[in-house]
Amino acid sequence: MTDLLYMSWRYVAYHWMKSVILVAAIALIVFIPAGLRVLVHQGEIQLRARAQATPLLLGSRDSPLELALNALYFSADRPETMDFSATSDITASGLADAIPVYVRFRSQGDPIVGTTIDYFPFRGLELAAGRQMATLGECVVGAAVAADRGLAPGDHVISSPATFFDLAGVYPLKMRVAGVLASSDSPDDHAIFVDLKTAWIIEGLGHGHQDLAQAGAGAEILRRDGSNIVGNAAVREYQEITPDNIGSFHFHRDMATLPITAVIAVPPDRKSRTLLLGRYQSDQRRQLLSPIEVVDTLLATVFSVENVVVAALAAVGFATLALVVLVFMLSLRLRRGEIATMSRIGGSRARIASILGMEMAGVLVMALVTAGVLTLATGQLAPEVVRMVLSR
Amino acid sequence: MRMTLAMAMITLGLLEAGCDRHAGSADGGAPPEKRPVVYVVNYPLQYFAQRIAGDRAQVRFPVPAGRDPASWLPAPDRIAEFQSADLIVLNGAGYAKWVETASLPPSKVVNTSASFSDAYIEATGTMTHSHGPAGAHTHAGTAVTTWIDFRQAAAQAQAIGDALTALRPGQADLVGANLGALRDDLLGLDARMKEIARRIGDTPLIASHPVYQYWARRYGLNVRTVTWEPDVVPDAEALGELKSILTGHPARVMIWEGEPDSRSVELLGSFGLASMVFNPCGNVPQRGDFLTVMRQNIADIERVGASP
Amino acid sequence: MTPPSQTQQSDAMIRITGLRFRYRGSDFRLHVPDLEIDRGASVAFTGPSGSGKTTLVNLIAGICTPGDGRITVDGVDVHALGDSARRRFRIRNLGLVFQEFELIEYLDVLDNILLPYRIASELKLDPSIRRRAVELADTVAIGDKLRRFVRRLSHGERQRVALCRALLTRPGLVLADEPTGNLDPANKLHVLDLLFDCAREAGATLVVITHDHDLLHRFDRVVDFRQFHDTPEASPA
Repeated sequence: MTDLLYMSWRYVAYHWMKSVILVAAIALIVFIPAGLRVLVHQGEIQLRARAQATPLLLGSRDSPLELALNALYFSADRPETMDFSATSDITASGLADAIPVYVRFRSQGDPIVGTTIDYFPFRGLELAAGRQMATLGECVVGAAVAADRGLAPGDHVISSPATFFDLAGVYPLKMRVAGVLASSDSPDDHAIFVDLKTAWIIEGLGHGHQDLAQAGAGAEILRRDGSNIVGNAAVREYQEITPDNIGSFHFHRDMATLPITAVIAVPPDRKSRTLLLGRYQSDQRRQLLSPIEVVDTLLATVFSVENVVVAALAAVGFATLALVVLVFMLSLRLRRGEIATMSRIGGSRARIASILGMEMAGVLVMALVTAGVLTLATGQLAPEVVRMVLSR
Repeated sequence: MRMTLAMAMITLGLLEAGCDRHAGSADGGAPPEKRPVVYVVNYPLQYFAQRIAGDRAQVRFPVPAGRDPASWLPAPDRIAEFQSADLIVLNGAGYAKWVETASLPPSKVVNTSASFSDAYIEATGTMTHSHGPAGAHTHAGTAVTTWIDFRQAAAQAQAIGDALTALRPGQADLVGANLGALRDDLLGLDARMKEIARRIGDTPLIASHPVYQYWARRYGLNVRTVTWEPDVVPDAEALGELKSILTGHPARVMIWEGEPDSRSVELLGSFGLASMVFNPCGNVPQRGDFLTVMRQNIADIERVGASP
Repeated sequence: MTPPSQTQQSDAMIRITGLRFRYRGSDFRLHVPDLEIDRGASVAFTGPSGSGKTTLVNLIAGICTPGDGRITVDGVDVHALGDSARRRFRIRNLGLVFQEFELIEYLDVLDNILLPYRIASELKLDPSIRRRAVELADTVAIGDKLRRFVRRLSHGERQRVALCRALLTRPGLVLADEPTGNLDPANKLHVLDLLFDCAREAGATLVVITHDHDLLHRFDRVVDFRQFHDTPEASPA
């Protein structure tokens, strides 16, 4: 057996290019459907786990999928916003606890999630370092964000401008990292959490600046109307919230009208859940949905597409295997001289056949091993790949 | 003999340990509930919470003595203590400005003045600002000492009672009884104050600080305000302002929120103004408690009503 | 007549009697009525192209089977054996050298020499065989090229590799078909010298097909195949 393996190995190694192409072709035919299945399966696990952990989602009456992906996976596609008062509507109903979520901005590609402290115990998130955010301008970062950027409590992150060339757009806000979350194997690992009010400040709906009533604020004043001072464009807004200037931060609108993208509603029991769903059934402006139902609908579509892709791949696979068989047959033809030599020297038919067969078997085994390794690697990388796709 | 004695002692010890295990569960074996931790932002709320919860809750008021809780700024570790509480009792009406910039869990927060938020009094004399000709103004702010309208104080106590009942439904009866007693006391203060205010009528009064808005509104008192500190002797400008107010508002009494400097009292005396203290009791009093302080306040103001 | 034992010892390494052979669909006919080659002798097969020299070598090696007649090699009736037995017999007892060298391109020099031990399960490749292969390579002056692939060898070096492969199993009979046919004159003589030396050293019988009349004097005997081709009877040389 050793001699057979050795002979087949020497042949395969000598004709390495042919061998690599054959191995790659067969491996791809096996790996692509297997890898696809792994990815879809991982996507299913992640989507369902996250959706099942989120009882109800309230959002504006827009795409349910967009709402679910933005609220659960912090995707960049933002649904229509609704007023923050939607949160108190849920609370006031007495049928569920309400956790507002506002996902709009990013910091170097990582989503900035505006929410309340209640979000963390709801998601079972614990701190690995530092403390919970205490004031405006502080943030808590997910484990992956901290690892990728080398962040620790006391460091800073800066929100990315909404649009690069929009000079009148949102300015970046420098935020202090108060704490780092422990890894949770969820999209929360890749997010930066801020207080909802901080998110509104990033958007420019709130700001801090020099007190215009102070004596030295003459250059920033347009005019005075009784007890109201009208500031001009020279008023410089603070880009970082510090203990010295935090008292100057304010909003010019009623906070109830400020925007959020979703409210996570957590009813205490099935009856409350049903009642709450019933209340929003005919609401024209908002929708209350069950994330698991949205995800299951999405998955049904994904499975259908997967089946079509696998069927197409099967056809390609048959064609590829036919070509592989042709290559082996041509290879045998090219080796006729070698076969004749071994025969004439006195090699047994069985031995010669085994040497030839071992080459083919070796290529097949290498291809299957390669496909297996690739599939395993896909399995390892799948959670991250799925997360990146969902959060795009 | 010794062995028998030792065995007997061991047996007794085991029996005793078994009894101890059951000592705290005379009602059937359930472990005692942990006392909820309640954080409050001012002393009146601390008093209310302690009256209502009794020893069934740990009420914590972390503002240092002598500091004004309305303007106190906690360090992040103090805010973390609030975050870890089972219940966070806020005054509302913009009291404790730090709350507006802090991250507190809404599920644990109770705004004790939410039930009368439509009756907040806008603070006068504060500057607002806007940005650009068409920009929206900032909010002028509201008066914050809601509890010296004793009917509002009762509503705030009710809010605390409701929150504690929701937190520990099993103690609803005790909470209800304690709350009832507290409300009786507060409404008693309200009735007494109304009676005195009737006697005072529209007699002009001067307040040293803009903290009596709700009190003045509730009890129909004619109060104008300056902005003086009890420990600061008014300067000429302040006295000039006072004089100008007195021209159209001939008050005979200046109401201080704390014991004034004797020189201030003297100066007021030259204006024909007597001084009295109506302590809003935002922080822990040096003597007595909220109820005794308010009773004293009412007794002092009654003398104003009694004086010609 | 009782057929002789397959293991009967004889002074003749090769004994051919009444051999007749023809290729199907061809006019070619080979008839060798009687031919004996002594053990240890060096014999040259000569004759015009197509006279049956390679055919007879293949018949002796058991690669083809005759239509009639008998061939014994070292006392073994080769064609009384089945195909597998013939192959086993061939690889143990015969060493074959081909005009076109017929080396395996994807094996290096050492592996080419060791080839018989990899293609026959009854031959066990052990360290002593590897040492012998290296010694043979050193003998023919290619010991420094053991890890080279054959495409990087000259014609002369390739034929020497083939020679080592043929001699590795210590065969009693070496059959060489035009071993110097593709070599230049200098290499031709050198390879032939090696062939003779190695065969002599091993005590092997050497049969060489050659067209080169300048080399015939070196052989103990020359068999001219004109006598065997397409005649009803052949006379021994």
